[in-house]
Amino acid sequence: MPISPSPLDGPADGLAAASVLRAMADELEDAEVERAMRAGWSWSQVAEALGVTRQAVHKKHLRRLLLAQIELRRRIGE
Amino acid sequence: MNRLITAQRLAPVLVTWGIQQSVAHQFEIEAKRDGAKVIEAEHMLLALTASSDGDAAKLLHEAGLDHERLASALQDERRRTLAFAGMTAPDKLVPATEAESPLSFGTSAKAAFKRALIGARHERHRAHLRGTDLLAGILEAELGTVPRALAIAGIDRVALALRVRGVN
Repeated sequence: MPISPSPLDGPADGLAAASVLRAMADELEDAEVERAMRAGWSWSQVAEALGVTRQAVHKKHLRRLLLAQIELRRRIGE
Repeated sequence: MNRLITAQRLAPVLVTWGIQQSVAHQFEIEAKRDGAKVIEAEHMLLALTASSDGDAAKLLHEAGLDHERLASALQDERRRTLAFAGMTAPDKLVPATEAESPLSFGTSAKAAFKRALIGARHERHRAHLRGTDLLAGILEAELGTVPRALAIAGIDRVALALRVRGVN
């Protein structure tokens, strides 16, 4: 018979924390990548600081940054 | 339900369930106010508590679950969750520009819709779902943000869910 765990105790707290921290990490990354690009950082610098490839940052954030009408230091796609 | 189904696109369908267009619009407002990228079950529940008419709103008011109480319970839930990780809620971050305006539904919202449909299937003579079906679908989640917040607020979620289904 399956157990009916409480939504508040034991693993439920830890799993909820993992979920909230993941969302907060995404939110923080969006905000700080935008801040860096507004300050004139290059894609490579942002990628290096995040510890991921430039392609990964580009893929994840380009559309949003174009919408934010940030003057990107490097040509798009470079 | 795929990622492209947004609250805006779903609104005409929800109207046939007796959920006003303004409530569907409120799903998105609540999600954005929360800084979320998708609409989750808690945002739909907040929108339903903010509504003033319809059976769903009436049942929520009877249970003493108004928008203020739910919002405060969700805040308490967030605080408790972060405390588990040894953190306190951070100050508001520099807001990032949002990529897309119409938000789609997150996993907990999709699960609520699914439960709404499954629960309503018993009554075959009914042509449409109702707002109360969606409320029941939200309340029937046993784990996750909504049941956590309701437990913190001292709301008997199971009893309320049963009452909501009873109206259907």
